[in-house]
Amino acid sequence: MYFSWAVDLDPKGANNQIKEAVDKRYLPEDDDISIDDVDLTGEVGVERRASLEAAFLEEIFHIRTSDQYLGKICQFKLVLLGESAVGKSSLVLRFVKGQFHEFQESTIGAAFLTQTVCLDDTTVKFEIWDTAGQENILLFIFIKSFVRYHSLAPMYYRGAQAAIVVYDITNTDTFSRAKTWVKELQRQASPNIVIALAGNKADLANKRVVEYEDAQSYADDNGLLFMETSAKTAMNVNEIFLAIAKKLPKTDPNAGGQGAGQQRPKGNVDLQERNQGGSGGCCK
Amino acid sequence: MSEYLVVLTRRAVKWDKVVDPQHRTRKSIKVKRYCRKGIPSSQRAQVWFDISGARKRWKHGQGVYKRMLDSTKDAQVVESIKIDLHRTFPENIHFTDDLSSKKESLFNVLSAYAHYNPTVGYCQGFNYIVALLLLVVKQEEHVFWLLDVLVTKRLPDYYSSGMQGLRVEQGVLDELLWWKMPALAQHMKTIGVDIAIPTTKWFICLYTDVLPTETVLRIWDCLFYEGSKILLRVALNLLSLNEQKLLACNDFVSLCDGFKNVTKSSETVDCHNFMETCFTVPGSLPQRKIDKLRSKKQEMLTAAVSTS
Repeated sequence: MYFSWAVDLDPKGANNQIKEAVDKRYLPEDDDISIDDVDLTGEVGVERRASLEAAFLEEIFHIRTSDQYLGKICQFKLVLLGESAVGKSSLVLRFVKGQFHEFQESTIGAAFLTQTVCLDDTTVKFEIWDTAGQENILLFIFIKSFVRYHSLAPMYYRGAQAAIVVYDITNTDTFSRAKTWVKELQRQASPNIVIALAGNKADLANKRVVEYEDAQSYADDNGLLFMETSAKTAMNVNEIFLAIAKKLPKTDPNAGGQGAGQQRPKGNVDLQERNQGGSGGCCK
Repeated sequence: MSEYLVVLTRRAVKWDKVVDPQHRTRKSIKVKRYCRKGIPSSQRAQVWFDISGARKRWKHGQGVYKRMLDSTKDAQVVESIKIDLHRTFPENIHFTDDLSSKKESLFNVLSAYAHYNPTVGYCQGFNYIVALLLLVVKQEEHVFWLLDVLVTKRLPDYYSSGMQGLRVEQGVLDELLWWKMPALAQHMKTIGVDIAIPTTKWFICLYTDVLPTETVLRIWDCLFYEGSKILLRVALNLLSLNEQKLLACNDFVSLCDGFKNVTKSSETVDCHNFMETCFTVPGSLPQRKIDKLRSKKQEMLTAAVSTS
């Protein structure tokens, strides 16, 4: 299913594992040269590490990073929407950093993060826009007339290929608000957008007011992915992103995100990143 | 940091000659200059209250704050404030404990203000602003009037519904960027990163929870005296200090990440030096030019809204 090193859906951890393995295997272990002597910093270092990593992958996993065998790299824009304090930022924090803060600071404006998941022969890189929950700030971000004035909206859901609409299972209002968001997305966003509904705070089952079945049947009626999640316990957090990744069209060259197709200067985090050539599409 | 202590001591001696706890501090060229160089923390509460015009409003509005506190509250507004109470500086000891009086004060000021000024109501971001005000200014009532002065006098209509003033401000900043740093402006345009992406929180929160606290207080020293132009100066300074790094970001993702690091650069911690560069690095920003840009952007916005 996944590369063995990506089973835990923690690409960063996976990369670290690879780096460690690379260090151990390819850096001289005798006393003449220590690891410290091999310069893996700067441009030369990045190149060097890249070739070490490629050699390592090829040898251990019989994967060649240098050609199409590794498969596609897709970059998608995903936006999180939902009422204030339903746990949008917490879901992102759990997904991207594996952390949870009981009292997550309220998001003002929109926060931007990235995370990568691997499935089959495809690497899906999410550009995640985590938005403020409060109405007036959201209006500020999304209002239609703003498109003309400031062309801001396209940077949020206009260009988004995926959305997670979040509600809090202990609060009915947030579920109604989520439905409004779904409608809005169906009306405004690109027709192929993949929408997932997340009933968050599933760990607070004793305070539940939104029934699982109700949300499930609503999701079925509207063609949404649906999971109950808990950013606190990590339940279904990776899973919902993975489900989205699976459902996203990975062959449509026009589905590319805004940032896709260009090489990032860092170039030392994701193994596949350097393969991203100059194409404008999401996939290669 | 010890260098900064020397600065603070020197400033405190100078301020002692201008501030008299028995009397209102009057505005003057000298006080304006002093504000730019930083108000000592012991006198900050009083000076803010005096120079911002909050004292005047407080004097004319005797009893208003108490009336607002006692008035019946809109349940939805109360709810949205309560949601943010424990999400405001959750790591600050004054706001962690549920029994903490500051948390209660935070609720009091926010809900009183939302009902005093219902067209603005409660806007996320106020929670950070009021929390920081409460750490400096002890009386809730003074904080209430300082917030009022900010919202209705010192800042151009940032928070009313639709937040038009904020859009205009970002438009102005964009124009200033083309004027002062055309290479960066062009770079952002090419990559497709709008100035609103990094700066929305900067303006809404007046840099709280964005820059180091001492630096924010120094910005506010100018804000309460001079008004919102300092916010533009700070933004231009931040962008200018990081211009080369931002120009090196070649795609959307890395440029967005680059903007995140702009507020974390070491220059922002050295607040005295940072404030000095805010006045020197962006160079001259004539108020007349800003006013002109503002009305131009305002017209564009009005036209866009009315035709859509």
